[in-house]
Amino acid sequence: MRLLNVINCCFALASAFLLYGLNYETRRLEAQVHAKEQKADKARSDIAILKAERSHLSRPDRIDPLARAQGLGPPRPEQLAMPGQGFDALQTRRMADGR
Amino acid sequence: MKTLVTITPGMPPRSQKAPPARRRPMVANLALLGGVVAGFGLVAGQLIFLGLKSGSQIAMAVAEPSATSFARPDLIDRNGRLIATDVEAPSLFADPALVQDRDEVVEKLATVLSDLDQADLRRSLSDKARRFVWIRRGLSPRVAQRVHDLGLPGISFRKELRRAYPAGELAGHIIGSVNVDNRGTSGIEKYVDDVIGVEPVHSATLSDRAPVRLAIDLGVQHTLEDELETALRRYHTEGAAGLIMDVTTGEIVASASLPRIDPSRPAMALDPKNLNRVTDGTYELGSVMKTVTIAMALDAGTATADTILDVRQPLTAGRFTITDLHPAGRPLTVAEVFTHSSNVGAGMLALAAGADKVTAFFKRAGLLDPMKTEAGPVKAPQLPAQWERAELITVSYGHGIALSPLQFAAAAASLVNGGTRVTPTYLKYRMETYAKAETVVSPTTSLEMARLMRLNVLDAEGTGKRADVPGYRVGGKTGTAELADNGGYQKKAVLSSFLGTFPADEPRYVTMVLLFEPEASVETGGQRTASTNAAPVTARIIRRIAPQLGVPPLQTALSQ
Repeated sequence: MRLLNVINCCFALASAFLLYGLNYETRRLEAQVHAKEQKADKARSDIAILKAERSHLSRPDRIDPLARAQGLGPPRPEQLAMPGQGFDALQTRRMADGR
Repeated sequence: MKTLVTITPGMPPRSQKAPPARRRPMVANLALLGGVVAGFGLVAGQLIFLGLKSGSQIAMAVAEPSATSFARPDLIDRNGRLIATDVEAPSLFADPALVQDRDEVVEKLATVLSDLDQADLRRSLSDKARRFVWIRRGLSPRVAQRVHDLGLPGISFRKELRRAYPAGELAGHIIGSVNVDNRGTSGIEKYVDDVIGVEPVHSATLSDRAPVRLAIDLGVQHTLEDELETALRRYHTEGAAGLIMDVTTGEIVASASLPRIDPSRPAMALDPKNLNRVTDGTYELGSVMKTVTIAMALDAGTATADTILDVRQPLTAGRFTITDLHPAGRPLTVAEVFTHSSNVGAGMLALAAGADKVTAFFKRAGLLDPMKTEAGPVKAPQLPAQWERAELITVSYGHGIALSPLQFAAAAASLVNGGTRVTPTYLKYRMETYAKAETVVSPTTSLEMARLMRLNVLDAEGTGKRADVPGYRVGGKTGTAELADNGGYQKKAVLSSFLGTFPADEPRYVTMVLLFEPEASVETGGQRTASTNAAPVTARIIRRIAPQLGVPPLQTALSQ
């Protein structure tokens, strides 16, 4: 009987320590998960800002004057060649124009 | 111990005298119980005490705003380019209980936030019972850093979601805007709230909903706005508007109204000058309406393109006399009525059909009923009170009936797309919306209308000849309407419009350009008619947008 009590006591103590340990481990993991989540949130937020900035920089009202300053312009109909019909016509026209 | 073992339930123990060893645990138990009760009593007492003492403070803490903003899905254009997105931004708040020197805080903050309402903030900060006062929401990172550098006690930041519009003012009228809590208040943003859904969030958590894909093409939208802006300067107009619509799906690929508005400054939309003229204004559109009149006559079988009408005599209705701007002086075919834009001819066609047929056709084309899009209701058409002779004649050439350009463009699209009713949409086309469409005109009539519109641009005497772009087979109809003013019409203030379609051999898009009160100049030959301003603007737009929309130029047309 006494032996049983002692064993019980030991088990109780052991499980208490185990539980204590597990509890701490869980908290540590929770903190880790939280930190990772925060990092992910931060990354997501940064990505959103970067995407917005990229779209802002590549918006047509900004690109248009920049492209024109480089001597570019909207494509003219005669610059477009369609497969099959286009290329020959383009060549012919170029030859006719003396280019 | 053996005596205890022999005791069985229901039987009295052999000895009534309890063993002396059992008395001590009883006392100990009672003492323990007393201790526990006293302990709980203390805790309860402390709770009651605390509750009574600091009740007001606890109430203020609960009164802090719990959900500060709403996470919204992104808006993207038809090619996936970002139009609107949520970004994290610091918002500034104060805890009046922690603010030590109120005047110092207000004065120092005013050095960074120049438009700060100092009196209001002073009042808010003097209420020490409050624990939370918003100072400014949605600061830029730079301003936030400058406030942070002031090092004021009781002032801190909270991260919130703010709506950003990377495309700036592009398509501002359609997108609408959001309020300080990031909830949609107008345009597509309101549609996102009502139909797609937004989530309340405590901190700056981005929405995981799929982005909302609009029908708008940012490139085409920019081209349209750019060309209208140029037209505004070139013809000294008071305003301009335009739209480009897919004739099959009703997708609005671009829609612009000048002056433009910035979605991040919602107050701009409230100024009546900045009205979205495409949907929120109705206008007597003038001769572009003849497209509908002639389609009606062709579809009802009352005339063909070759039917000859004697337009030499003016039409009369009561005290009104209706004449042509440039009388041909000879009978015209229906096709010529269209290309010469003869008011008399159009009036004769409407009279021949009769009021019932005209109204039935207008209803089928969707011109009589109020229309709604995702961005809200379109301004309802203003119709004649009764359809007598005078109204039938004037409506046939676009007077006495005021329509929003969007509603008219949708009807025009139904006339050239094979004859199916078009419902305009700002969202990218979905299969199910098209399947239910009803028929407006027969495919033959539709083909004939596209041919007539092309003829009007090709013909040397056609009013739309300046709208041609080699290779892209543009078709269209001009309209110059005198603007109504105090019950009469102003001779010099006109609304000049052009309804275009391309490629006219198999129309894929309709375009609509409206110039409000253009001035006559040397370039327009002293004229202010649509053939001299709205038509060439359309040509410039189509030249630029056709390659973007994947409409190939016809090379044979180019080499001629």
